[in-house]
Order: sequence, then structure tokens, then C-alpha cells
Amino acid sequence: MTLYQKEYEDILSARRAEFSNWFWASRQLNIKYPVVINPKPTPESHKYAVLKSLKIRNLIEEISQRKNVNKKDIENDVRQILDEIGYKKNMKIIRWLALVLTKICLRVCTGIYVNYEGVAELKNRMGDCPVIYVPSHRSYADFILFSYICFTFDLEIPAIAAAMDFHGMMGMGEMLRNTGAFYIKRASNSDPIYWPTFKEYIYQLVANGDEPIEFFIEGTRSRSNKSLAPKYGLIMMILKAFFLGQVPDILFVPVSINYDRILEESLFSFELLGIPKPKESTSGFFKSLKIIKENFGNMYIHFDKPISIREYFGAKLDRTAHSFGPLHIQEITEEEKAYIPPLAHEIVQRQQKSTVLSCFNLVSWVMNYNLTKGNKFISRKELVFEMNALKEILQEWGARIFITDIQNDINECLKVHSNLIYEIDDRIGLVENKIVVGPVNPNKLKGHSLTEDTIAYSVPFVMLQIYVNPVLHYLVDAALIVIILRSPGTMKKDDLFVHFRTLRSIFCLEFVLLESWCKMNFEEALLRLIEQKVVTVNNNEYSIFEQNYLEEVLISSIQPFILAYFIVTEVLQKTLEQISEKALLANFQRLLEDAISEKKIFIHPYCMTLDTLGNCLNSLTNKKMLHKTRHDGQYVYEVDRGRILRLRKELEMYIPSFRVIKNFEIFSHIRSKI
Amino acid sequence: MPASNQKFTDPVIVKSVIPKHRQDLLKWNGWGYKDSQFVIRDGVAYFTGQRYSIGNLTLPHLAPWVISVLNIDLNKYNVFNDPPKESDYPPPKLTKEIYEKLEKLNIPHSIKVIDRVVRAHGHTLKDIFILKYGRFDRVPDLVLWPKGHDDVVKIVKLADENDMVIIPFGGGTAVSGAVECPTGEDRPIISLDTTQMNRILWLDEKNLVACCESGIIGQDLERELNKLGFTCGHEPDSYEFSSLGGWVATRASGMKKNTYGNIEDLLVHVKMVTPKGLLQKNCQVPRLSCGPDFNHVIMGSEGSLGVITEVVIKIRPVPKIRRYGSIIFYDFEDGVNCMREVARQRCQPASIRLMDNDQFKFGLIVKPQSTFMESVVDGLKKVYVTKIKKFDPDRMCVMTLLFEGDENEVKVSEKRIYDIAATFRGVPAGETNGERGYMLTFLIAYIRDLALQFNIVAESFETSCPWDRAITLVKNVKQVIANECRNKGITHFIINSRVTQTYDAGCVIYFYLGFNYTNLPDPVGLFHHLEDSARDEIINCGGSISHHHGVGKLRKRWYKNTVSQVGVDLFLAIKNEVDPKNTFATNNLVSRVTKSKL
Repeated sequence: MTLYQKEYEDILSARRAEFSNWFWASRQLNIKYPVVINPKPTPESHKYAVLKSLKIRNLIEEISQRKNVNKKDIENDVRQILDEIGYKKNMKIIRWLALVLTKICLRVCTGIYVNYEGVAELKNRMGDCPVIYVPSHRSYADFILFSYICFTFDLEIPAIAAAMDFHGMMGMGEMLRNTGAFYIKRASNSDPIYWPTFKEYIYQLVANGDEPIEFFIEGTRSRSNKSLAPKYGLIMMILKAFFLGQVPDILFVPVSINYDRILEESLFSFELLGIPKPKESTSGFFKSLKIIKENFGNMYIHFDKPISIREYFGAKLDRTAHSFGPLHIQEITEEEKAYIPPLAHEIVQRQQKSTVLSCFNLVSWVMNYNLTKGNKFISRKELVFEMNALKEILQEWGARIFITDIQNDINECLKVHSNLIYEIDDRIGLVENKIVVGPVNPNKLKGHSLTEDTIAYSVPFVMLQIYVNPVLHYLVDAALIVIILRSPGTMKKDDLFVHFRTLRSIFCLEFVLLESWCKMNFEEALLRLIEQKVVTVNNNEYSIFEQNYLEEVLISSIQPFILAYFIVTEVLQKTLEQISEKALLANFQRLLEDAISEKKIFIHPYCMTLDTLGNCLNSLTNKKMLHKTRHDGQYVYEVDRGRILRLRKELEMYIPSFRVIKNFEIFSHIRSKI
Repeated sequence: MPASNQKFTDPVIVKSVIPKHRQDLLKWNGWGYKDSQFVIRDGVAYFTGQRYSIGNLTLPHLAPWVISVLNIDLNKYNVFNDPPKESDYPPPKLTKEIYEKLEKLNIPHSIKVIDRVVRAHGHTLKDIFILKYGRFDRVPDLVLWPKGHDDVVKIVKLADENDMVIIPFGGGTAVSGAVECPTGEDRPIISLDTTQMNRILWLDEKNLVACCESGIIGQDLERELNKLGFTCGHEPDSYEFSSLGGWVATRASGMKKNTYGNIEDLLVHVKMVTPKGLLQKNCQVPRLSCGPDFNHVIMGSEGSLGVITEVVIKIRPVPKIRRYGSIIFYDFEDGVNCMREVARQRCQPASIRLMDNDQFKFGLIVKPQSTFMESVVDGLKKVYVTKIKKFDPDRMCVMTLLFEGDENEVKVSEKRIYDIAATFRGVPAGETNGERGYMLTFLIAYIRDLALQFNIVAESFETSCPWDRAITLVKNVKQVIANECRNKGITHFIINSRVTQTYDAGCVIYFYLGFNYTNLPDPVGLFHHLEDSARDEIINCGGSISHHHGVGKLRKRWYKNTVSQVGVDLFLAIKNEVDPKNTFATNNLVSRVTKSKL
């Protein structure tokens, strides 16, 4: 029993025990609202207020004059847009859904663990300003699950920003709307009516609403189970009410959701390799209902401490720019915009660091390390031993780990993940040749047309890595330091930091790192490595202890990423100066497929994921090593060879560190393929 | 009849209510008259003296309210300092040579500690807290009572030539720290008390203006003008004690500004004695187009540029009728919207104010014990309001009104206001409630002296803001206070507000904040922290640094952002021009480093 576990309560246990779930679902709710507004606003009153707002009235006026159209027509357009956006609340549907979800969860889940003290603290803090829930987004299940938790704890079910894709699902879209979903278009085109209307709608909900709002700051589900870099659009719209002084404060509540097994795990593994997702459709949804036969283990939800933006921004924020001129013409200033990225990153980091790691995250981590080493199987004894060792370290590094009885939990993992791992003669291994890939339409592929064999071989590795990924957020900085130190053997702190800063900045999208936290994170990670005796310091010379288990694990964890990025720079060196994104991604994948399929040496198939390759391209674009433009609906890159070369040389230095794990010539092997 | 514009050729010598040695009548360490104060006897509160209408009546609601809301223990009360003895403060920093020069001026003066201490402060919380529990770091070295303009000229010349500091002092009611002695001032400080130059020099009936010396106290001015059938109509909440010169120096505003105007509307002509000479205009005209108006440099100068000696103000015939009124609203929003509508139609009566729910409840605690019949009637009213009209006692708020004019004018005005109010669900609630609302204004300052005895610190602050920001500003400030109280471990506090003035483009909001500081360190510092947080929020919500309290030393932090750096430089340029030696080293508005230190 670890220290953290006491904080968590399985909300399903009461459901299992009670005589009738129906009584529970239809119980009298004692809802706590973020603010009390009289008279209580309704979904319809919000839409009406938007329509009648000065901002929208002026917009209608302006467009009608510019396009010489009747004002009534434009007003109708706005009305329609609002109907398309607006959330509703239907308690009957909510209660009915709560009942159905209870039945489903009792069947497919072992438990839903929530830090109830976090909920209590939040409830206690609520009452005088808007509350915004910002959960991590790993699955479609996230937002239904979150609403279910709110219902369980008598928290008002939030208005939830959902993508329009959902809306298209017959019946589902309206059902979700009735439980609080409001819809946002994904396209960021400059529709002159839609976006002002949408922004005003959000402003209205924050400034004059009494319901919490929920949105996914990552913008979309993370296929990799790692955080995605935050998007700034919606959070900016939410903050507007604060910048304009219309609300005294806003509480952002970061929420982390971790699944023992992600509903869409196989779908995501395919998608990561470039085999696209089917469009969300109701029939697809019903097909996914077959999950009811499966077991998804536990879900872990952690409500982190609310961030009061008043306190977060502090006195340095000057909002007086809005004191001048009428309210409805005020827009967020550039100075205010600059406050948003650190806040958004803070929220994501809180999600990362409050994630409750499950037994399977550790199992995958250990297995992944052993696979990288070339051990196809690991004995149960070793597995337990290594897990315990790593668990201790991770906990020292601030992780919450949910393990009650390790043997039992591993058994549970084997059951829940029987599609991925199996046990034979007390040895545990990754499934092979069990993935069957149907015919894939090559036109739909995003990257290279991988062979069925490659896909079948790669998917289990990718799927396993998905469960390793949440762990990486705790150790990426330490792993980078180890990688850097390994090759020269010893380094002065300042030099080490210079290398660290460069390398880290390349990975800032991959692991959602904020540049301004670089120094702080560096010091912290270095200290941890010294404490763990991975790194020693002598007269300001930092070096690595010889042959250290943790060092190997760290290197193996970061290896697929370093390798993928290295290959990107290698290929970019040798391609045309101008090349489309699709062609580039295909090039990378082709090369890797080649190298992997020879199976002479182990190359982690996760290198091939378009997520990581794409992150690398975007990161290089941000660093101005690539220039990205859009031609005929395609992204085209222009390569700055000189700068890419410099980066390649830097990365090249780190590749030899892989030898620590296994003495192989990954380097020349890759080179031979280009 | 002689064809003269002036009714008087001889000045009116005004016998002021306030004696030259103010402490003879006024509390030396608190607000107002010595004989008027809240006291608690046997667990019941009452107000002493006969000066106010609740005098000597028991106030049965007060003690239970403060016990429950502010968690005070009536059995534990603090003991205040005794009046300062001569030995409590260092002797004045005056050389014999200077002293002789001063004697030669033949202007009444004092170097007694008590005279110096009562002129070392205004009425901020800090000032009063120091008087009751502490000791000032710096007090004036000398008090001078000039008899008129010429005396002031002599004093300013002497001070300027002999490297002394002058802090002009009128009624001593500043709530901005403006009359506090600047810390770190090594030069001798003269407190120039204007109260002995308080004549009405002449009165011009044809043009309806009066020329007064700046030391005249509000209630004296009003009383003397009333005797002659006139009124000035300027009634700030402090008008019993504050002076005409002080009004000008702080850009004051009166309760009845809707009828009579603010000080800038009332002022026709003003004289200010500066070290460089006299600043004034050569005519007494209603308006002139002649470059920047230097009257506006004098108004709000807070004693930093010179001494205001004579002011020509507008006067009006005394109105025949003065009637109070009140309206209750379902909630604050309705009330504010109603006020906005009244302002839009520009039909404000002399005064129109709106208390929020918290202040409305606060107002009820100074309701005297009623007779049996009264309480029956009150009970019926309460039933009518809460049961029949369905007002929620925890949301409703009350508007207080003051009408002036002849019977017909008042009737027309009343009808118009009540009609507008009806469209905002407002229900008239009678004259008594209105009158009590205004009385509360004068009593609220006395309550603090009682509160301080029981570990409660309290103070008011105010702002002006555009109409469209008013409701959120109030909401946000209250939330910020609640939040900061929670952060600082303050468990019992009150924060209430009222809208006290309306304009075409906005309104004035007044906050009253108090808390129980038992077991907390540095209550004054804590209070300043809360007030500063509130002011930051006010400014971020589109409100101002101050509507009528002024900047002084307390609100300097926001001066630059309010007027821009160019504005600060401009003020300093004026300051350096008229007062190059920084004789008026009040340190108000902007911190100015004296030249010698540069």
C-alpha cells in the first residue's frame, strides 16, 4: 500500500454495493455551483444574450451593410450557429445516462478511482467565480467519464467544449448536447459570423454563466498517451472575461485521467503508424459497444489543486488597457496574450504530474526496457524486482503510483491486456503475430505504405510504448542529461546545460516542455540524478557512474525519440530542398521499415510513429530550420541544410550512448539505409 | 437704495463651532465631538449626546449584530492611549533665531505637544490607530494661526527664506494621509492652521457668489449663509468639520452635487499663495476661454503648491422644502439600473444613493428602539415587503433620496423618480428610511471609534467608474476582499458598498470595509494590504484612483498610471516652478526628492 492510495476512492464500490442503481441515479442532487446568479441563467438565455449582445448586434449591422443583406437574414444565421453551438441540460437524459453508464462500468471496469479530497477541496473553494475543468484527453471516454464523476459527487455537470465530429454522429450528438456538450468547429477558417459568435458565446458562459466549463487544452485526444502541446484558442476566449474585469477570478482545475487500458488503444496504435481513423459515426460507436465484453481494469482521475488565475498572474498583470472605451469593443491585448502560454503549460504540466500511474505503466516500462535490451521475455521475479526498484525512484521524483498488491496487480494486467502481453512458464512477453491487419486503402495512408508484416510486428511495440509514455513526463529531463553526459563521459555544468538546453528545445513539442522552465528543470533533474547515484560531481565535473541500471532504463526510454529525430535530420540532409510533408513522412517510414525488417539489430518501431516524426518537423519549423508553407492543401517544407547539419551533428553525438544498453551498431546500420 | 452689487461692505466675522484649540470640543484621538460617541453599557449600545437624532437612544440591534457578524467579545475591550504629554514628543526643531523671527510676525502660534499632535494627522485608519495605540514618527514643530491672506504671505515668505516646511491644515478630516508629516523631513515643519481665517469677506447677491476665507468650516459657512437666506449646498460627509480650503485642495464632492455641483462647479475664483507669489485670476467671470485653467492646478493640489487663502464660491437661495425619500429594490442590479436610468434622463434629485444589501442590513443596526406601536407598524411593513412583495431580505437593497426645492418642484421630482423606479420593480419605502440612510453617513465615522475598542479595524474607500463597469466592479472587489481575507486568515469581516453619486457617464461607488484582527499581527498593515488589493482590482475593472478623497500619500502608487508619466512630469514642473525649495513638502501625489538631495 503506497502512501498515495489512501487519497483515492473507488466510486464504483458504492454502486456495486447498493441495492438499486436506479435509486441512486434518481436521487435528489445537492449541486454546488461555481457562482450563484439570480435569476438562474438557462442554456436558452445564454444564446439569447449572445444574440442581443452589442458585439453581435454591431456585427450583424456591419455585415448587412457590407454585403447589402437583410439584417433579419444574418440574425437568423447567427441564431442557427448558436443552435449548432449551444449546450443544453436535460436532467432526465443525464440521469438515464448515469444509470446506463453505471451498468456498463460495473461490467467492464474494475474500479474508477478519484481523489475525493481534491473534489472536496474544490467544492469548498467554489462559490465566487467561474470554474473551468481542464482534463487530459486520452480517450473519447474522458468527457463522459468526467461528467459521470461530477454527477457522482454532486458537482454541476459542466458545459463541455466538444468537436463538431461528435455532432455528426446520429443521435449521439444531440444526446451529448443534452448532457452539456457545446460544439466547436475544428477548422480555423475566418468565417466572419461563426467565430465572433462562438467567442461571444464563450464570453457569455464565463462572464454570466453559473455552470462550470470543461475543455481539453490539448485540443484533441492524444494518440500517444503523452501530453500534447496546449492550444491557446479556447483558453484565451475563456480568459477574456477576466482580462476585461467581468469576473473577479477564474479557477482552472487541471484533471488527469489515466486508464489501465485505453478504449482506443489499437486504433491509436494504427493511427500512430499512419493508418487513419475511421470517421466518428454512430455505427462505429455501436461497433465499439463490443467492448462490453472486455475488461478495462481501473480508471484513475485526479483533481489537481485549482489554479486561481488572479493569484497566478499576480499584481504584474495590468488590465487597465480595457478601462478606456466601451466594454464590447475590448479585445485581449498582446501583453495579455503573452501570459497565456505559461498558464497553458502550467495546466498541462499539472496534468502530467498528477497522473496516477498504474501497475501496467510500470510493467510496460520494464518490458520495454528488456525488449530494447533484446530480452524477449522477462521472468516474473525479475519483473517484480525491477518494478519495485523503479517505483521507488519514480515516487521519489513525485509520481503517484497506484499499486496495491504487486503480484495480484500483475495478474490483473495480464488479464486486462491479454491482447498485448502474456505469461508462459513464469515468463512474460509481448504478443507476436497476433495482430491481423485487413487490407488498407493506400490512398488513405498518411505516410509510407507499410507492409502487413511490418504493421503486425510494430503494433504491439507501439501499443506497449503508449503505456510507457505517461512515465516519460517524470524523467525526460533526467534522460536527456544522461544521454548528453554518456558520450564525453564528463562535463562541466555550464557545458552540460548548454547541450541540455539545445536538446531539450528540440523536444519541446514531443514532451510539452516550456523553454522558460529550462533552467529550473535542469537543476531539479541533475539533483535527482545525483541523489540516485547515476551522476557524480567532482570539482564541477559531472560524470556518469559506471554501468547503472537506472541509466540504462533512462536511455532506453528516450531512445526511440532520439533515434527518430536523428533520422529526420539525416533524411532532411539528403532530400530535395523543397519537399511535401507527406513525402517526407513516407521517406522516414520507408527507411525505418527497411532497417527494422532486417531485424539484425533492434530498432524500436515507435520511431516510425507519425506523431513523433510530425512533432520533430514542427519543432524544427519552430526553430526555423525548416520553413513550412501550404500549397494546394499540402504542407511543403523548405530545408535549411546548414542548420539541420549542425543539429544532426549534435544528435549524432548522443547515438553512441545506446551502446550502454546493448552493444550494437545502430548508427552504421541506419546510415547504410540512406 | 444705493446701487450696490454687494449686500455687505463689512466682512462677516464668523464664530466657528470649532474652537481654535480643537481638542477642547473635538476628540483628540477619534472622530467628531467629544460628547458624541457610541458606547456599550450592560451589553446594549447607545449613542451619547444630543447633537444627532439618535442621541441618547438605545440601539438594541447593534451589539447582537457585531457579536454575530464580527465575532467580538463585549467583555474584552482595548484601552486607548492617554492624551500625549509634553515629554512624549521631542521639542520642536526651532532655532532661537527662527523663533525670534516668528515672534516678530505677530501671528498666534503654539509649540505645545497636544496642539502639534492633533494637527499631525487626518482620519485614515492608520492615523487613528496611532493616536489610540501608538505614537507618530513625526509631528509638526509649530502651529501657526494666520488671521488672513496677508499673514499667510508673511509665513510663506519666512518659511521659504529660512528653509522650513509648511503643511497647510484645515479641518483635519483628510482620509488620504495628505496632512501627515513626511517621514525623513529634517527641516522644521510648520502646521499652518487656516481655521482662524474664516470670515465671509463679502457676499454678492446679484451674481450669487460669496467670497470666503479658506479656513471657514462647512457647517459654519452653511449656517451663516442660511441666516442671510442662502446656501452653498456643498455637503461632503465631513462637512461638519472640514474646511472650504480643504475642499478645494482635495477636489471635494458633496452629497448634493446634483443640484449645486462639485467643488469645481462651485468655485468661481481662488487665491493661492505660493513661494513664487500669488496665483489668481483678475476677474470674477462664470467661465473663460484662456488657456489651461489654473484653477484646476490649485484644485487637487493637496497642499503641495501653496496655501489657498480666499475662495469665491457660488451661492443659492435656501430651498423651501427638503424632503427625504427611499425606495427598495429586489437586488443591487435593479437598483443600479434604476440609477442609470435616472442619470440618463438627467432628473436626479439633490441626492440619490443606493445601498447594497450588506449596507442596508448594516444601516438597520443603528435603528433605535421603537415604541410598541412603531414596532407593530414595522412588523406589518416587513410582512408586506417580504411576504406580499416577495423581497428577499438577503438580496434587497435600498435607495435613499433627498429632494430640494419648492413644494411643487419636489412633488414633480418625486413622481418622476418613483415612476422610473417602478419600472425596475422599486417600491417606495418612506421618508424615515431615507433620512436614516443619510444620518448613517454621519454616524459611520463614529462607529469606528467604538469598533477599534473591540479589535475591529475599519475604513471606507471610494471610486468612480463608467456605468457599464459598476456592477462587476462591486462584485469583483467584494470577491477580492473575501479572497484576501481568506488568504490572510481573517475570519470575520464586512465589506459593503453603496452608489453615492450619478453622472452622465458613470457613477461613484463607496466601499466600507472592516474586520476583526484578534490574533493577527499588524492590523493596519493588513488593512492596507486589503485596501491595496481592492484598489488594484478597482483600477483593473475600469475604476479610478479616487473620486473625492484625493490621492495624498495613501494612493500615490496609482498616480503615475492614472495620469501618465508626462502627467507626473508636468505636475513636477509646476511644483518646481512655484515651489523650487519644496517648502510645501507634503509629499502628496508624487514623491519629490528635494533639490538639495539630488
